[in-house]
Amino acid sequence: MSSWRASLRGNGCAPGQFEGEAVVSNQSFGFWQGIDPTTGAVIDKRHDLCGTSLKGKAFFFPYGRGSTGTPGIFLEAVRNGCAPAAIVNVRSEPMIVMCALLAEAFFKVQIPIVDGLPSNPLEIVRTGDRVRINGTTGAIDVLCR
Amino acid sequence: MQLTEEERRILDGVFGEPQRIALGVLAKLGDAYGADRMIEISSAHIVASSYQIAGEAGIEIYSRLAEQGAKVKVRTTCDPGSIDFARWQLFKTPADYAERQIKIAELLGRLGVIPTWTCTPYTTFNVPRYGEDLGWSESSAVIFANSVIGARTNRLAAYVDICAALVGRVPRFGLHLPECRRGEVLFELAADIGDDFADHFFPVLGYLIGQRAGDRIPVIAGIRHATFDQLKAFGAAAAASGSVALYHMVGITPEARTLDEAFGGRPPAERVLVGRRDIADTLEQMNTGEAGEVDIVGLGCPHASIDQMRRYAALLRGKRVRAGTELWICANTVVEDMARKMGYVEVIEQAGAKLMVGTCHNDCPLGAWNFRRLATDSGKFAYYTPTTVGTDCVFASTEACIEAAITGRIEAS
Repeated sequence: MSSWRASLRGNGCAPGQFEGEAVVSNQSFGFWQGIDPTTGAVIDKRHDLCGTSLKGKAFFFPYGRGSTGTPGIFLEAVRNGCAPAAIVNVRSEPMIVMCALLAEAFFKVQIPIVDGLPSNPLEIVRTGDRVRINGTTGAIDVLCR
Repeated sequence: MQLTEEERRILDGVFGEPQRIALGVLAKLGDAYGADRMIEISSAHIVASSYQIAGEAGIEIYSRLAEQGAKVKVRTTCDPGSIDFARWQLFKTPADYAERQIKIAELLGRLGVIPTWTCTPYTTFNVPRYGEDLGWSESSAVIFANSVIGARTNRLAAYVDICAALVGRVPRFGLHLPECRRGEVLFELAADIGDDFADHFFPVLGYLIGQRAGDRIPVIAGIRHATFDQLKAFGAAAAASGSVALYHMVGITPEARTLDEAFGGRPPAERVLVGRRDIADTLEQMNTGEAGEVDIVGLGCPHASIDQMRRYAALLRGKRVRAGTELWICANTVVEDMARKMGYVEVIEQAGAKLMVGTCHNDCPLGAWNFRRLATDSGKFAYYTPTTVGTDCVFASTEACIEAAITGRIEAS
C-alpha cells in the first residue's frame, strides 16, 4: 500500500529538509531523562514510546517539556548520530528550538522543526508513516504508510 | 533583528570564530522569538558544567572554543559538576567518570568561567541587582533572579548560556521586556492554610503551581511572610514541575508590592483557590514511595545557604545518623567554607552525615550505592529523583528528613 494521505502547513521553527519515517506520540516529551543519547531510544518509563528509537526519524509529539539541560543530552545524541532527524509539535518549546540552533552551530547538523500541528498528532500521522518535512516553509507531507 | 555595527562585525568573524558562532546562535534565537535587538548582560550562569549534562558533546564544544582562544566577556559562574571535586571517592564516583568532569573543569577555566559549581550562584559571586539583564540558565537560579531579586533573564538553554557569556549579549524578548513580566494566573491561598503556612509547604505549593501554571507567570496572594530559603525552595519546585521562570508573591517580591502591580493593572486570566486539600493532594503526588525505611536522605537542593547549614547543625547536634542510612547535605564551596568556620560542618560530620560540595544527588552517578528509597525536603529533588536517582522518593519537612536519617525510617507527612 502506497498512497498519498495528507499534507498540511505548519510554522517553520528551524530550517532543514527531511524525508523518512515518522515516530508519533500524543504525549508531551522531555529529552532530558527522556532519551538515551548513545542509542536514540526513549528511556522515560512514564512515556508510551519507551523503548522506541528516535534515531534518524521525524518525531511527532504535541509539546516539549524543557529542562534547561535539554541541549546537553540532545547534542550528545546528535554527536553520536542518534538524535531524531526532524521534530514536529503542536507548539514548539524554546529548549527544543535551541537544540536545533545549537546542533547546526556546533555540529553542522540541521534538524528541521515545525509547529502548529492540530492537537493530536495521531489524527494525521502514525508511527511508521513516510513523511516529508520542510523546516523553513513548515510544509508537512504524509506520503504513505 | 536590528544588529549594531559591532554585532555585524562579530557575525563577519572580525572578532574570531567563537564570537561569530555565539552571536549567530543568539541572533537566530532572537529571530525565532521576535526580538528587536540584542541587549548587553551584566552576568551569565551556565548549566552544562556537569559531565552528566555536557557529556562528550560538551567536552568537544568547550575544547574547540578553548582552542580557538574563546574567553567569556562578562562575569560567568557555573552550575554544579558531577563530582565533589575534593571527595569524589567518598561518594563512590567511578574514577573514569571523575576524570571527564575534571576535564570539563579545566576547559571552563580556560574560558574564564568562575568555578562556583552551584545552582545558587547568588550566594557566591554572582549577585544580580534589580532590573539588570542577565543571561542565565539553571531553572532554579533563573526563577530566583527574576522573582526574588527582580533581575531579568529568560531561561536560557545549555550552550546558549555560554554563547551569551562569550558576547555579553542576549536577544531582547520575553522576560527582558517589562510588559512580558506581568502576572497571568492568580493563586490565592484559602484561609484554612494561609493563616498557618508551614515551612515545608513552600516547595509543595511551588510544585502545585508549576503543574497548574505551566509556562505562564503565576501570582501568589495570601503568603504573609517568606524567608530567602523558603522563596528559593518554592521557586525551584515551580521551575521543575512546570517551566515557570518568574513568579510574583504579593507583598513579598519586588515587582508585586500590590496585587494590581503584580498583574500590571490587568485582571488575572485565571484565578485558582489553593486550600489545605490541594496541598495534601500535591504532597501525595510528590511521594512516589511509602512511609518506611529509607537508605538515603538528600538535603540542600537547591544548594544549602548558611542559614540552612546552621539549622541542620542544630538538628544534628549530639545525634547519630543510623548505620545503613546516608544523609548527604549539598552546598557550594563558599557556604561550605563559612559553615566550617562556624563549626557547623564539624557537627554535621560528627553526626555521620556527609557534606557534598559542588554537586548533588541529581548530578552524580550513584549506581554503586544501590539506593532504594530517598527522603528529601526539596520539591525539585522530589520531581527529578525517580528518573535521576532511580529510587522511590518521599518528600517531608527538613526536621522529618533529619529524623529519618537518625532512625532510618520516614513517617508519612
